[in-house]
Amino acid sequence: MTKKNQQKNNASSKRPKAGDLESRSLSRGAISIFILFHLVAITCWAIPLDFAVLRGVRELVSPYMRWAGLFQSWDTFSPNPKQDNSYIKAVVITQNHHMHVWAFPRMEQLSFGERYRKEKYRKFTEVLPEQKNAALWPDIAKHLAWQFKSQTDPPDKVLLIQFQTDIKPGIDEADAPSAKPNIFYEDYVQPENFK
Amino acid sequence: MNLQRLHKAWDHFFFTPQSPIPIALFRILYGICVSATVILLHSDWLDWFGVHSWISLSTMTAVEPGIRLNLFTLMPQDDRWIAAFFWIFLGFAVLLTIGLWTRVSSVAVFLCLTSIQQRNLFMAHGGDTFLRVVGFFLIFAPAGAAFSLDRLIRVRRGLEGPEITPRAPWAQRMIQFELALLYFISFWWKMKGDTWLHGTALYYVIHLHSIARFPLPGWVQHPVILKAGSWFTLAFEFSMGVLIWFRRLRYPLLLLGLLFHLSLEYAFNIPMFQWDVLAAYVLFIDPNDLDRLWRTIHQRLMRRTS
Repeated sequence: MTKKNQQKNNASSKRPKAGDLESRSLSRGAISIFILFHLVAITCWAIPLDFAVLRGVRELVSPYMRWAGLFQSWDTFSPNPKQDNSYIKAVVITQNHHMHVWAFPRMEQLSFGERYRKEKYRKFTEVLPEQKNAALWPDIAKHLAWQFKSQTDPPDKVLLIQFQTDIKPGIDEADAPSAKPNIFYEDYVQPENFK
Repeated sequence: MNLQRLHKAWDHFFFTPQSPIPIALFRILYGICVSATVILLHSDWLDWFGVHSWISLSTMTAVEPGIRLNLFTLMPQDDRWIAAFFWIFLGFAVLLTIGLWTRVSSVAVFLCLTSIQQRNLFMAHGGDTFLRVVGFFLIFAPAGAAFSLDRLIRVRRGLEGPEITPRAPWAQRMIQFELALLYFISFWWKMKGDTWLHGTALYYVIHLHSIARFPLPGWVQHPVILKAGSWFTLAFEFSMGVLIWFRRLRYPLLLLGLLFHLSLEYAFNIPMFQWDVLAAYVLFIDPNDLDRLWRTIHQRLMRRTS
């Protein structure tokens, strides 16, 4: 075989066959549909607008977005940043009327390393007292009761208290009023909760 | 633009083969971020996900109904299984970082990551959400096509040549889209708030005790600087969402973004958030520039070893 013929053969073997082209364009088409669907679904999900068409699209894609873990919102510090400092403490009252006070980790009181490890509590305690998350409160009480379980003096009641101080521009933090307590959950716990 | 041109542009953007070096580098950075996130959770793993966790699995499924990709719903509710899940997750995150069984590892990491977030949605910050959503698209990317043990094995077995083969970048584009969307939607949300428009937002942010890290110099707290900072944040987030797609502006914006996130890392305690986002910056670097950089490093290493 001459060098020229060999080159020609090589070139023709590299050239995609008609079947290959067809399957490639089919797979490209399928991928394009996949891309387009995700671009539309993700954009409609994330944009901070609310009108009928958008609500319709969101409703349509919602089961998939939630199933696949593609739900997302990018609203950190917005529309306005939080304008108060807050922390949560819990009081566990036992059947013999003893009180245990348990404080959720406060980032400002932790060491540098601990702040890294405990940061999830920052996010958790930020959203926990919101009324829309009231369904979580009995579980928090159960967890706290379980932490203080005792054969002789089991937990009887749990209170969750949020302490809040407003951030006021122009006021020195040293002069800021002390934190206002707000009991946002209070209930008895059942013995089966801390077994 | 007629349909044919649109089709061509779409095809070019998503399917013109390009070097997989950016996505491979992203895979490594992403793997490190996921590993670090998992390690940081270790001390409270059972408090978040265990049988006696803060929020029970049944409550979580009640408040967030519907079918979810959540391995916790499949595994026995036993703390030993849940503790083992931590090590399995970390193991796959390390495998993904080094690029061994890359495709399988990327699927496993995404499943584990989405599972822990579905198990407790109330502890995830924006960085965690970003890792989750881009992890989905990483599954489809040729993330093991460079800088991976998988490739090393393939080259040793003679299945691949020394040259890295270009691949269609559509999955990389989706991750780029997610990054741009993160910035643009953040900008949009902030535009709805009075404090951002008036320039007072940063005052509140720097006075939040729960996220304060290192002390800020006094001049930063001057009202003029805080106003400028609030407005700069708006301008920056808009630019990263929209102007990043223009080649000429890309590198200055990436540099600005790097400085922006490093300053946030100094000032605020939101562990991993800045690194999670910065990891995706590498996807906006021209593959040719990365290729050139890689060749230079490679040549220097070869010269030193010979």
